[in-house]
Amino acid sequence: MVVDARGSWCPGPLMELVRVIQEEPVGTEFELWSSDEGSRNDVPLWLEKAGHELLGMTREEGYDRYTIRKKHG
Amino acid sequence: MAKRVVVVGGGIGGTTVANRIRRALESEVAGGQVQIQLVDREGIHAYQPGYLMVVFEKMRPEETRRDESQLLHRSIQLVKGEVEKIDSTANQIVLKGGKLVPYDVLVIASGSVIHPELIPGFPEGAHSFYDLSNAIKLRSALHAFQGGRIVVSVAGMPYKCPVAPLEVTFMLDDYLRSRGLREKSEIHYTYPIPKVFGIDTVAQPMQRLMGERGVSVHVPFNVDKIDPAAKTISAVEGEALPYDLLIAIPPHRGADFVGASGLGDKGNWIPTDKFSLRAEGKENVFVLGDATNIPISKAGSTADYEAEVVTQNVAALARGESPTARYEGRVYCWIMTGLAQATYIKFDYLHPPHPPTPSFAHYWNKVIYNRTYWDLTARALF
Ligand SMILES: Cc1cc2nc3c(=O)[nH]c(=O)nc-3n(C[C@H](O)[C@H](O)[C@H](O)COP(=O)(O)OP(=O)(O)OC[C@H]3O[C@@H](n4cnc5c(N)ncnc54)[C@H](O)[C@@H]3O)c2cc1C
Repeated sequence: MVVDARGSWCPGPLMELVRVIQEEPVGTEFELWSSDEGSRNDVPLWLEKAGHELLGMTREEGYDRYTIRKKHG
Repeated sequence: MAKRVVVVGGGIGGTTVANRIRRALESEVAGGQVQIQLVDREGIHAYQPGYLMVVFEKMRPEETRRDESQLLHRSIQLVKGEVEKIDSTANQIVLKGGKLVPYDVLVIASGSVIHPELIPGFPEGAHSFYDLSNAIKLRSALHAFQGGRIVVSVAGMPYKCPVAPLEVTFMLDDYLRSRGLREKSEIHYTYPIPKVFGIDTVAQPMQRLMGERGVSVHVPFNVDKIDPAAKTISAVEGEALPYDLLIAIPPHRGADFVGASGLGDKGNWIPTDKFSLRAEGKENVFVLGDATNIPISKAGSTADYEAEVVTQNVAALARGESPTARYEGRVYCWIMTGLAQATYIKFDYLHPPHPPTPSFAHYWNKVIYNRTYWDLTARALF
């Protein structure tokens, strides 16, 4: 499932991730697309605290793609 | 037969877009080739940004409401009724009670709905200011407050006006100072992610300001439940905060009829092309304001800028042309940083916001906007 949060400055890509992760079942894989450089710090930090898994991150032209798995309900 | 343009929702987005479409199609409407209708549940227009001002006695409750019929151009027909379902195959709206409203072009501006009941203990344990009656109750609670521990908390995503929790925090600080209660009070702020706002350009100056104002920050804090008897709010992260007064932002969802019509995602938000503002897969349906799933602020300002684009695209379709206008993600929102000071954020899809130093002048611009809203935005007389 792709969460295209490019250009989302308010409330921001991480807040979009918080929103969708609560709606989907455990085990769902998400791709979060973010053009906010702050996400490079925030996304791994939040995932660690929230106990979900960061499977990988790739840099694209003008945005980053984070692959994430929901680990618990 | 006249082309029927129907707008659902008489809030900020629906009202301004209906008036602008009327103007864009002035000769067609006057000549009877196009007919515009607006469907709204009560026919009362609520200016929700006023609710925060009501809490701090800067606006009176009645200043936040007007009859929708006074705001719409006389050639737009107001249909009072609750939309139960949209049949986008038959191009018609089904109202509660069974009345049908057929359309050729549909604009959905049905906003968002607050759902405090999704957080256990919220309805009994928390104050809020996201509807008028709760804003009035909070005003009374603050009036009676004699000092203690106040917690401001965002209890679910998404929520409209993403900066409102920051604003209420700063206004509260100023309010308590003005009443000589700040020394006897603590203010605690919680947010679901590891900082006080979604992106650094805003979070950093706001967190600095919270430090200066003595606000304690608890992040990340994803609200799990509220215990009204013990007066605690707890997070899935394990932290529990006691409170004397809790001000929380409830979770939001899209309108129920969106789900019932098969037009929405899991939260009843309508998948919408972020540039054309067309509902995905529907040639003749446009969406604006809180109702979309576009990952930007659910704000009146967003609806206002989007209305320009929807107007052009609806007018093009009504004339049998192809719609080409694009929304570039523009939004402009003030952030109150006290009872008489503010900053603002202005951004689009490509440019993040950089709020300037808070000042009285920015606050004054917001006051002027609140006063001129009814004519400039709702009636779209500019
Ligand atoms: C406390 C507070 C402060 C805010 N401050 C700001 C601010 O400073 N700046 C800013 O830009 N935004 C602010 N906002 C956000 C702003 O009010 C909303 O984002 C905006 O109203 C969205 O406009 P809309 O047209 O999408 O929806 P709304 O204005 O909510 O209108 C939706 C309309 O649809 C109608 N409707 C819904 N369902 C049905 C149905 N089934 N049948 C018939 N009619 C229906 C409703 O009755 C309503 O009239 C604030 C909001 C709150 C609560």
